[in-house]
Parts: sequence; C-alpha cells; structure tokens
Amino acid sequence: MSTSPISFKAPAFRSELKPIWCPGCGDYGVVQALYRALAAVGRPPHEIAFVSGIGCSSRIPGYTTAYGFNTVHGRALPIAQGIKLASPELLVLVAGGDGDGFSIGGGHVAHAIRRNLDLTYIVMDNQIYGLTKGQLSPTSPRGLQSVTSPYGSIEDPVNPLLYVLAYGAGFVAQGTPADMSGLADVIEQAIRFPGFAFVNVQSPCVTFGAAEAQLRQHKAEMRKLADLGHDPSDRMAAMELAQEYGRSLHTGVYFRDPAPRPTYDAAVRERRAALGAAAPSRRQVLDRFRPKA
Amino acid sequence: MTNDLVIGMAGAGGDGVVSAGESLIAAAAEIGYHAILTKSFGPQIRGGESSCRLRLSTAPVLNPGAPLDVAVALNWDDFLRFGAELPVGGGTLVVYDSASGVAPDRLPLAGVVPAEAMAVPVAALAREAAGTEKAKNTVVLGLLAGWLGLPPGPILGGLRRKLARKAPEVLAGGERAFAAGLAYADAHPTREPRRLSPPPAGAGGKLLADGNEMCAAAAIFAGCEFFGGYPITPSTEIMQLLARDLWRYGGTVLQAEDEIAGLGAVVGASFAGKKAMTATSGPGLSLKTEMLGLATIAELPLVCVDVQRGGPSTGIPTKSEQSDLFQAVFSAHGDVVRPVLAPTSVADTFVTTVDAFNIAEEYQTPVLVLSDQEIAQRKETVDPIDTSRLAVVERLRPAAADLEDYARFRHTESGISPISHPGMPGGNYLAAGIEHNEKGAPTASGEVHARMNEKRLRKLDPLKQRSDLFDLEGPADAPLALVAWGSLAGTAREARRRAAAEGLKVKLLVPRLLYPVAETVYDAFFRSVQRGLVVEQSHQGQLFRLLRMFVDVPRGLERLARSGANPIRPDEVLGQLRQMAMALQRVHEDELQPQE
Repeated sequence: MSTSPISFKAPAFRSELKPIWCPGCGDYGVVQALYRALAAVGRPPHEIAFVSGIGCSSRIPGYTTAYGFNTVHGRALPIAQGIKLASPELLVLVAGGDGDGFSIGGGHVAHAIRRNLDLTYIVMDNQIYGLTKGQLSPTSPRGLQSVTSPYGSIEDPVNPLLYVLAYGAGFVAQGTPADMSGLADVIEQAIRFPGFAFVNVQSPCVTFGAAEAQLRQHKAEMRKLADLGHDPSDRMAAMELAQEYGRSLHTGVYFRDPAPRPTYDAAVRERRAALGAAAPSRRQVLDRFRPKA
Repeated sequence: MTNDLVIGMAGAGGDGVVSAGESLIAAAAEIGYHAILTKSFGPQIRGGESSCRLRLSTAPVLNPGAPLDVAVALNWDDFLRFGAELPVGGGTLVVYDSASGVAPDRLPLAGVVPAEAMAVPVAALAREAAGTEKAKNTVVLGLLAGWLGLPPGPILGGLRRKLARKAPEVLAGGERAFAAGLAYADAHPTREPRRLSPPPAGAGGKLLADGNEMCAAAAIFAGCEFFGGYPITPSTEIMQLLARDLWRYGGTVLQAEDEIAGLGAVVGASFAGKKAMTATSGPGLSLKTEMLGLATIAELPLVCVDVQRGGPSTGIPTKSEQSDLFQAVFSAHGDVVRPVLAPTSVADTFVTTVDAFNIAEEYQTPVLVLSDQEIAQRKETVDPIDTSRLAVVERLRPAAADLEDYARFRHTESGISPISHPGMPGGNYLAAGIEHNEKGAPTASGEVHARMNEKRLRKLDPLKQRSDLFDLEGPADAPLALVAWGSLAGTAREARRRAAAEGLKVKLLVPRLLYPVAETVYDAFFRSVQRGLVVEQSHQGQLFRLLRMFVDVPRGLERLARSGANPIRPDEVLGQLRQMAMALQRVHEDELQPQE
C-alpha cells in the first residue's frame, strides 16, 4: 500500500474547488508547489490525509484531491497525529498559517516534534492575520501597525525556524512562492524525510501584508542556503542561520538529520506487533475481573 | 444472623485499612456475597488519613449503605475526619485500638451512643504476631472474620496472593497476625451476634471491578482501537488500564500534551476509520468543548467519558458529584444535540459504555458518558455478564454504488450518510468544521446550513424511542415517583423497595439516556404521578431543571438535590416518600369531605 504502480501527475491532485484566496496571494504558489511535490512522491490521493487548522492557508486541503480535514483553529497537529497513529500507512500532511501554528496552536508543535511522528508540517507564514482582515500575528515584526496594534506592535515575533530547531525537528526548511521549483523541492524532501518535517513558507499576503514583504521583494532578496555553503547536516550552523529570520530571506534546507531518530509511529507498530501477538478475544475481556482462586 | 452488613474503617495512610477492605471484598466475590467497597482519602498525595466502607449482603446491593454496622477506628483522629462518610448509629459495633487509651464508655462520638464498643490491643497483637505494626490491618481482618463469621480460607488465600512477592517471613507474619485476630474474636465474643448469613449456594465466582475498569473493558469489548487522553482525577484509571492492555488488541494509546490534544487525536483516529475514545473529568470536558463541536459537524463517531467530581473549577477532585449534566448537554455553540448517557452502577458501566460506542458509530456523533467518582472508583462484585447478548455496531460504510459519485454528507431518509476513511479508494472527501454541502465543499449558504442542521439533529430522533435506555420499576399506576440517575440510582432503588415493602405505591424511573430528553418516555411515566422526587447529587438539581425544560412535569415533582461529598442515603429518600404519601392521603381525605 505504500507505493502505487500508477503514476500521478500534478493535475491529479487538483480538486474542483475554486480557491477563495485573493488574486496574487502567495498560497496559490504553495498549492501549485504541493501538487508538483505530491506528483514526484507518487502516492495516490486516497492514501493521503491532509489536515489543516483555521486561516486563509488552512483552506488548502480542499484544493487537493486527498482526504482533507479542515479542522479548528490551532489543532491540526493533534488531529493529524491521531490519524497517523490510527493508520500509520497513510501519508499525513499538515498545513496552516503562522497564527494557527505559533499562536493558538503553539503548544502542540513542541510535542509533535518530540514524539517525532512521520508528518510533514507546512506553515504559510505571512506575518499577519488575513482571514480576519489584518490583525497582528505571532510573527508580525515589532513596530508593525495593524488594526489591533494601531500605535505599532510592542512585542517581538516568534522565530518559527529557531523554535522547531530547538525542539529537535529532524527536517527544517524554508521556501517562498517566488522560487516555485525550490519550494516544490523542499516540500518533496520534507515528505520523503522519515520523521517530523517542517517547512516554513514565506507566503505574502497581498491584501494586508507589508509592502516590503511581497513576491517581488522576495525574488530580489532571497538567498539559497546551498549558495551560502551551508551544510544541512549541521544543526548548530542551521540555528545560527535561523537567527536571521525576519531580517534575511534564506531558502532551502536548514537542517536534515543525517541519522534520523526512530519515529513514534514505527514504535507504535512494533509495540502493537509485540504485544498483540497473543491477540486475545475482545469477547473474553471480562475474564480479567474474575477473582483468582 | 443478618443478611446485610456495612463495615467502615479508618486509619492513618500506612495503616492499610483500604487494603484490608480490598482483601475482604475479593474474598466476598469468591465466596458469593454481593458487595460494594468505597474508598475515601484525605487530600494528601501520600500518608494522611484513609478510609473505606464495605457493604456485604446475601442479596444484590444497590448503594454503599448506612449507617455502619461495624466501625473500625485504628486511630480516632483519622476516623473522625470522615464525618458523615462513616456514620456511626445506635446499632453500631465500634472496634478500636485500646492503645488509644479511650474508655469504651467515653468514645469521642458526638450525639450517638453505639450499641457496643470493643477496645482491642490491635497494635500489640500485630507486634506480637508479626513483629511489626504494619500487620495491624491483618489483625483487623482476623477480628472481622471471627466476629462476622466469614470463612477464613478465601481471606487467607487473598493474603497469600498479595504477599506472594514479599519475603517468606512477611507472609508467615501476616498469617500469624490473622490467626491472632481470629483467636481474639473467639475469646471475646460480641454481646450481640453479628454473624453474616452464608451466601446462597452457587453464588460464588463473581467478578470484581470498579467503574473505571469496567469502562475500559467495555471500550475493548466494543472494538475501541484508539484512546487519547490526559491524566485527570477521577478518570485516570481508564487510561491506565488501556495503556496497559489496548495494545494487546491491536489498539493504540496516546497520552497527549493536554485535554484538547487528547480529544483531537481521537477525532483524527475516528476520521481515519477507527473506533476511538477519550476520558476526562469536568475541567477537561470544558477544554474539549470546541473539539466536540468539530466531531458533531464533521459527523465523526467518538466516545467521551466524563467522570464527574465536585466542581466548578478544581472543586473537590476526589469526591463525587453530578453537576456536569448542564455542561454535557449544553456546552456547545451552534444547534447541537449530542447524546449523553449515564451508567448507574459498576456492572452497568459495562453495558452503558458499549451502548455509547454503538450509538456513536450508528449515528456518527460524539457521545458523552457521564460517570461519577462514586461509581468510577468503588469496587463492586458483579454477577457474570452474558456478553453474547450485547451487539457491537459498526459505522455505515459506503457500498460500491455510493462511491461512484461519492457524497460524504448525502441527505438520506435517516439522516445517516455512508462514511469513508482515508485509504479507501474513491471515498476521498473534505471533512470540515466549516459548514459544507453533501460533497463536503465549504459553503456559507443559509439554505444548505439549515438542511444540514436538520439532518444532523433528525438522525438522532430514534434515540428518544430507545426504552431500553431507561430502567423502570414499581406499579405503572403509582401516584408517587422517584427519578434518579448515575450513582444515585442505587440509592433511589433501595428507597423505593423499602417504601414498597411498607405498602407505599411508588415507582422509579432511571434514565441511562439523559439527552436528548425522551419526552414520550417521561410523559408516559408521569401520567399517574401526583408527587415525586428527582434525587441527584448537585446543588441545583440539574436533571430536575433539564426535565422542566423539555417535559410537562407534575406540579408535585420536587427535587432532593445536594452538593457532592454530602451523600444522600436511602433513609432520607424513604422519609420524604412517607411524607409525600401522607400529604396525598390528606388531599384524598379533604376531597371526601362534603362540600358546603
């Protein structure tokens, strides 16, 4: 069931639903990159579960032909873990925005990472709340004026890259729709990585986002980590570079664990096999309460 | 000889009174007595005072009983801390350690003179026999076996199993301590005989479990394959049993990072096609509310157990209350009905939990099970359950024809639509918390929203006709009535039976389905009723108020409701029934007076 003999081209992953995103939204690029990555990986859509939270970007599962689950705000990761544990053979993707992942659902990220389920988590980071029309987000830069920070933000943003690296994520990358082939490539690598994989996508909000954070600027400013001579097996170097979040736009793989840790779902499969070998009958379950003579 | 005995014991944390109670109930199950064991502890994590109450009977027991026939105080300060939980009456035999220096005619009991007091050198006997005061509880077992006429064999057998892994001299000491207690009882008979009649022949070999264990076992029986949860008193034992055993049945247990994630993982597992459950208590249910709403709109089956404790907030985590009913029924935004069931005993926890899984799967809905600390943590002997009579229901899967142009939320006559899951070719769909059309596509159409609400509510209507989810007893035309749920059902049952024995015409309704409110069941029940009581352990009387919202209850229906940790006993219910019967009699006589 893990691979299918039939090959699926990118259009096979595109659903009939028309996105509600604003024209020019970065998320269009993300979904296109995802179609390409999924075609390259080659799993049929019915073997994929694609889970999201709430936000503009969380509409994305509906634009694919996978089994989608557009859940509640901030809780995509726990729900995705339940799916993966129930059916480890599925390819499980998780997506959401910066608010979903690093504000209301921030508490779940650390635990998904430390458990190390084989999930791919794509955050479309636009540094603003677009769905609710322009409020401060956890990754908004200090000083940003928004409708909920009319005098400028007086708090520092979360650094999603450092956050997940510090908790021990085995695969951490960043992309932008300004570089479609680069973005499709890191998403594909993330899916292929055996363990929790995180992709931060700088996905500009054309309607409420800062003028200096649009695709045109991305194209001009982005620097590929590979071109900087970065060694993606070096976690400390990755953390050093990740400090630049919010100041420079690096794309590519920050960190790929050269010796991936065992995954939780693999351990679960082993435990089920080891303990379930005797396979007692569920009908006999009450026997445990018989007093031993 | 008596047929029914209530024993209460208290001591310091290390005295082992709870362990003694467990030894006795295990022996009772083996011998064939019906029994209930409740435990109560001080708030300390270790040490502090602890107590247990054990009711032994030759007939089925319905509640922990009161007052005590035998009270054992290994330490008076600890005993007195339990107050109304260990009620001494005029008929009680009080046994205590003579080392306390308390004179038998000067017991520190306010306002009550027990029938008999026995000052026994318990600590001295333990030291003599076993070389340690740790054997005090074993001396007590010997005393009770002697005075109550319990066969020593099964008690000693239990002791041997318990001490099997200890050094041989510990077991030998324990056996000598038991013998010392037995010999002391022989040499010092009680003034009034306290012997318990032997159980009926062939009654032995009962099961022994508490409500939480039964709940976990029922989940296994019903086919649960996933449990996600977060530890919280008094529900944690459900997760603990499953964490040990669900794997053996091919299932998985996740201890999540919080209550929300616990239920989130359950929602995910259900989406993936597996039967799934979580368990929590009041504060956890508050946190899970949003996720339950997601399961409702995405039409995903799951079971959420709430073992109720004193609330609000942290409240009294270790004591029973029935004050989560409103939360279970109403804590949802949007037009939501989700079934709420309540078990009425340890044995019934098995059946009710299986019912919960079956209803969840059949109707594709989250189902709440409202257990309570009393049932969840008390041990009960249980007559063998014939599981071959219990159905296990699976969710409606799409047939090949359904998958040709699959619509996950297709409108059907029953409101139930075939449900696919990831991995099933052709069943691909978008599940969502957002309103959706039959295909799962998001929509903001008022028309679609209204139709989907109607579908999600209509599909649950057949539940209201499930008379098997209601227990009825007493004459159908009785003018007096009791309604009780959860652990209070046993109290009401005993009160009704005693009232009937006194000649009162009274009937009882015990709903195991609390919501949706089955109006027709209540209408039929209340037709003959002039006076009645809703008996429940909450300050407001939450079931009483819920019934008044949905049912035309008789004017004479009142509530006997009280905050948790203040037990309601059968005597009290019986007293109120007698008053109601007298009031009815007066009304009847007034009606017979000639009119002027």
